[in-house]
Amino acid sequence: MASSVNSGFLAWLRRDLLLAYRRRGEAASPLVFFVMVSTLIPLGLTPESARLAEVAAGMIWVMALLATLLSVDGLFASDYQDGSLEQLLITPQLLPMPLLGKITAHWLTTGLPLTLVSPLLGLMLSLPASGYLPMICSLALGTACLSLTGAVGAALTVSLRKGGLLLSLLVMPLYMPVIIFGTATVTYAIDGLNWLPPLAILGALFAASVALCPLAAAGGLRITSAN
Amino acid sequence: MKMYFASFQDLLTMDGHGFYVWSTVIVTLLIMIWLLVAPILSRRALLKEVARDILRERARQTSPTNTQGES
Amino acid sequence: MSWQWFHRLGSPRWFYHNSARWLAWLCPIAAAVVLGGLVWGLAIAPEDAKQGNSFRIIYLHVPASFLALAGYYIMAIAGAVGLIWKMKLSYMVMKSAAPIGAALTFIALFSGAIWGKPTWGTYWVWDARITSMLILLFLYLGVMALQYAYHSIDAASKAGAILGLVGTVNIPIIYKSVDWWFTLHQPATIKFTSAPSMHPDMFQPLLVMIVGFYLFYAVALILHTRSEILRRERKTSWVRELLNEKNQDVADKKVGKS
Repeated sequence: MASSVNSGFLAWLRRDLLLAYRRRGEAASPLVFFVMVSTLIPLGLTPESARLAEVAAGMIWVMALLATLLSVDGLFASDYQDGSLEQLLITPQLLPMPLLGKITAHWLTTGLPLTLVSPLLGLMLSLPASGYLPMICSLALGTACLSLTGAVGAALTVSLRKGGLLLSLLVMPLYMPVIIFGTATVTYAIDGLNWLPPLAILGALFAASVALCPLAAAGGLRITSAN
Repeated sequence: MKMYFASFQDLLTMDGHGFYVWSTVIVTLLIMIWLLVAPILSRRALLKEVARDILRERARQTSPTNTQGES
Repeated sequence: MSWQWFHRLGSPRWFYHNSARWLAWLCPIAAAVVLGGLVWGLAIAPEDAKQGNSFRIIYLHVPASFLALAGYYIMAIAGAVGLIWKMKLSYMVMKSAAPIGAALTFIALFSGAIWGKPTWGTYWVWDARITSMLILLFLYLGVMALQYAYHSIDAASKAGAILGLVGTVNIPIIYKSVDWWFTLHQPATIKFTSAPSMHPDMFQPLLVMIVGFYLFYAVALILHTRSEILRRERKTSWVRELLNEKNQDVADKKVGKS
């Protein structure tokens, strides 16, 4: 009986990764969005390297946040449409564990690729050299927080028709602390200060999110299933 | 309690800051009044609606042959 | 046995009947305190040494900010009570609290912006307090939009309650983060006239206004909740009876007059 808690997590993690792999094109669209929109920044602002360097850290973070926001809608959408969400709600496992598996799969298919591609964008936007490692660390932790918090919003809006837009409205305030400390990590490093403290706070946000968001998302899903 | 300003005119202009203070006061009071009036109006509208529903039901009961429903 | 009052409190009908009596004395007191405090602050209190007369906006800005934040917690607690005890009335209070709180947040933002112009020369400054107020407005709008989007009242209430609780947990985090973010980028020393170091002649009317705004909030919340009760319970027999009573009163008055 002790293994039933874990088996929920891995089973749904594998399932969602497999599904994402089968629709690779669709799963890659947040990443493509991330890269393409970053081209808009020099076009909208300036091609000058020095001026881009000033805004690079913040801009990359904002783009990563928007890309994650667009993708989090799909966390439960297709499962809701084909009925597997109902199956999820009646499994004997505690609901937060399978949800954590799904959210981890979401992060592995959006947050992690964004993190790995960010040095390329740093290059394109003239991010100073000292900012690369902090950028990767902060994005890795930060996008995980974004996936977790986004799942709560997705759970509350999955059964609504125009849920995607409402979802963005709901989670945006919750995303703000993440972006504040994420960009602070990078700018601290660029300014020559110790960048571990803001990263530690980001880690604390991550720890709190891992503990609480699956519970809140589970509560939200139970409501929407009754709708 | 004595008024701080020398005259009513001074109260309005407030040494040049009058526009800022009074525009804030007016907008704030308008919003607060709207917060009080809107529910009163909607309550009255709801009571009228309930009265109409009662009349409609009574009409339906007194004319049982009218099964198609009134337009 | 002593929990009877608590469960009676959860009856929409009980609340509707008794709140009419409460409003009879609450309204004049609230009006007196708010208007009295306003006259005191605008006309009688001395002006600020540095900011001149524009500081008087504080008598609207600070109470509105207090109530905006307190209102969110009232909304969230009402949602939590509804979730735990499945009390319909609690959900109705939660739904009513949202637009009132959002309006107060808007008042806080608007008054803060207007205050900024004579003080710092610009209508908008991304300082910690105003930014936090703006985020609070978004949180309110989110709860309102979520409840509006659901067709089933039950699902709408539960979803709104969960979102309210999520927001409650996040508000201290957001406020602290924004505060920290602002000190990181502080362009110049921007300080409001902080309350404790204010002269008592300026501080006392502020206290009166804060109390007055709490009373105003109570009146607005009761009015909105009464309206919401009617909206949700209009098919029930006690509402029908209520209308019959009203019609009877009107008929009696007509007979009495003729």
